Amino acid sequence: MDAHHQNTSTLSFDALFRESGRDLYAYVRTLLGDDASAEDVTALAYERAYRKRASFDAGRGSQRGWLFGIARNAALDELRRRKRSAPLVADLPDGQVPAAAEEAETAVRRTTVRIALAALPPRERELIALKFHAGLSNVELATVLGTSESNAGTRVHRAVMKLREACNAPA
Amino acid sequence: MRQRERLTPVQMRELEAVDRALAGEPVDADLRELEDLALDIRANAPQMTPAFAAALEHRVSEGFPTQPESTIPRRRRRRWMLAPAAGMLATVAVALVAVVGPGGNDSAVSTTAVSSQAEPRATVESVAPAPTGAPAIAPQALQSRSDSADRTVGRKVERNAVLVLAVPRAEVESTADAVIRTVDRFGGIVHSSSSDSSDATGGEATFDLRIATGKLDEALAALSKLGHVAQRSQSLQDITGSFTSAQDRLAGARAERRGLLRALGRATTPLQIESLRSRLRLVRSTIARLDGQLASLRRRADLSTVQLTVRGGGTRDEGAAGGDWTPADAAHDALRVLEVLAGVALIGLAIALPFALLGVALVLGVRLVRRRRREGALDAV
Repeated sequence: MDAHHQNTSTLSFDALFRESGRDLYAYVRTLLGDDASAEDVTALAYERAYRKRASFDAGRGSQRGWLFGIARNAALDELRRRKRSAPLVADLPDGQVPAAAEEAETAVRRTTVRIALAALPPRERELIALKFHAGLSNVELATVLGTSESNAGTRVHRAVMKLREACNAPA
Repeated sequence: MRQRERLTPVQMRELEAVDRALAGEPVDADLRELEDLALDIRANAPQMTPAFAAALEHRVSEGFPTQPESTIPRRRRRRWMLAPAAGMLATVAVALVAVVGPGGNDSAVSTTAVSSQAEPRATVESVAPAPTGAPAIAPQALQSRSDSADRTVGRKVERNAVLVLAVPRAEVESTADAVIRTVDRFGGIVHSSSSDSSDATGGEATFDLRIATGKLDEALAALSKLGHVAQRSQSLQDITGSFTSAQDRLAGARAERRGLLRALGRATTPLQIESLRSRLRLVRSTIARLDGQLASLRRRADLSTVQLTVRGGGTRDEGAAGGDWTPADAAHDALRVLEVLAGVALIGLAIALPFALLGVALVLGVRLVRRRRREGALDAV
């Protein structure tokens, strides 16, 4: 690989990181449930993606979908490792603290959503994270999950409805 | 896991509302609740700490140094995944050895020792058909014969050779003439010869030659150059035992004759004289027979027998005199090499294909199992 090509690839990867870094971390953190593992897995996912960047095929989906697929595999491997060792009790993310001027109603609502999200089964929590934290389209979701776009949409819809019900359920 | 479900219009509308809310676009009034939910979920997205974000950005900008810095232990490379490729390589190598090994050199020379009932061990050399245009006989073979000749100094050794030359049909006669000239050149004898020019056989001339044993090697080398050597073999038989035995018996017979002659000189009666003459006749007969045997043994030791056949029907290339390596020979050799390589490739492919398929199935199976385990990990949380 010549220097120019390598430089171009690096720049492209830098752009991908800037565009997706926070979303990827949010997704991994939601899936794993703790900050330390989320940081490790996020770093590992970017490293793997960087080393495998030559194998990316634009014809098989977006770069973002490809990256999240790598992150998902790394996160699931981490969950497997965790299962073999000691289970980790997921801690709830702190979330954004509402501004002082924000209405109390909003703060309460977001706390409710956070608790309901943490209580969702992992598969549905993952779908919510991919859709709302990572901002993936249904096509990209399908790429990451290895399913059809229609199926991905159906599953996301079901997870959203379940979350809505959990939020609306009486405490 | 994959479910064949289609989104209903209502579901599609709700998902579109979610997408619009996430994109910051207005949402229909009846779906405001979903909009709020989407925004609340988005607002709850975990955030990287500034320190981690900076550290990761630094690593990305550095292009991730060669040594992985991740704190998560990476799985060791599965070198066993290379096993199918290594197996295929080994298979091809074995096939190459199997094909080229015994068949790669058509002019293989074999030297074996065989035992004779009456005589000491005799050495037999044989030369398998040589490739077209190749030297008539390998130098090792000549060296081997020279060594055997050295070992037979002082002993009576009978040597026989069989030589079959393949020549083009049109050159059978000229080659036969060349055979005779060559035999004359080495002071040999054409004991008998015959020629068959029928179309069915492609023409053939056979010779029963006697050549001085001391010149046999040179004569065979010269004869081998007259055509393509299709077959060549030699045998040695040590007849020293037979020779010394005949010599001993001859000496005994002569001594007996001398004794009988002295007794005859002293005989006084007609009966004695007649009896001694009768015994003398027998002894003389024995001496004559033993002389003949010794002469025959000497001839067998001094003159080697060469059964030479000039066989027509070969191509002009095959009939080319050995020794000169022509461009045609080179082309033929190149073709032969390609044939061998193609054969090796075919055998290798035939053996490697099942392994390759097995390897592919193995890789796919491993991927499937890994995928299921990953998904299982998600279910087990």
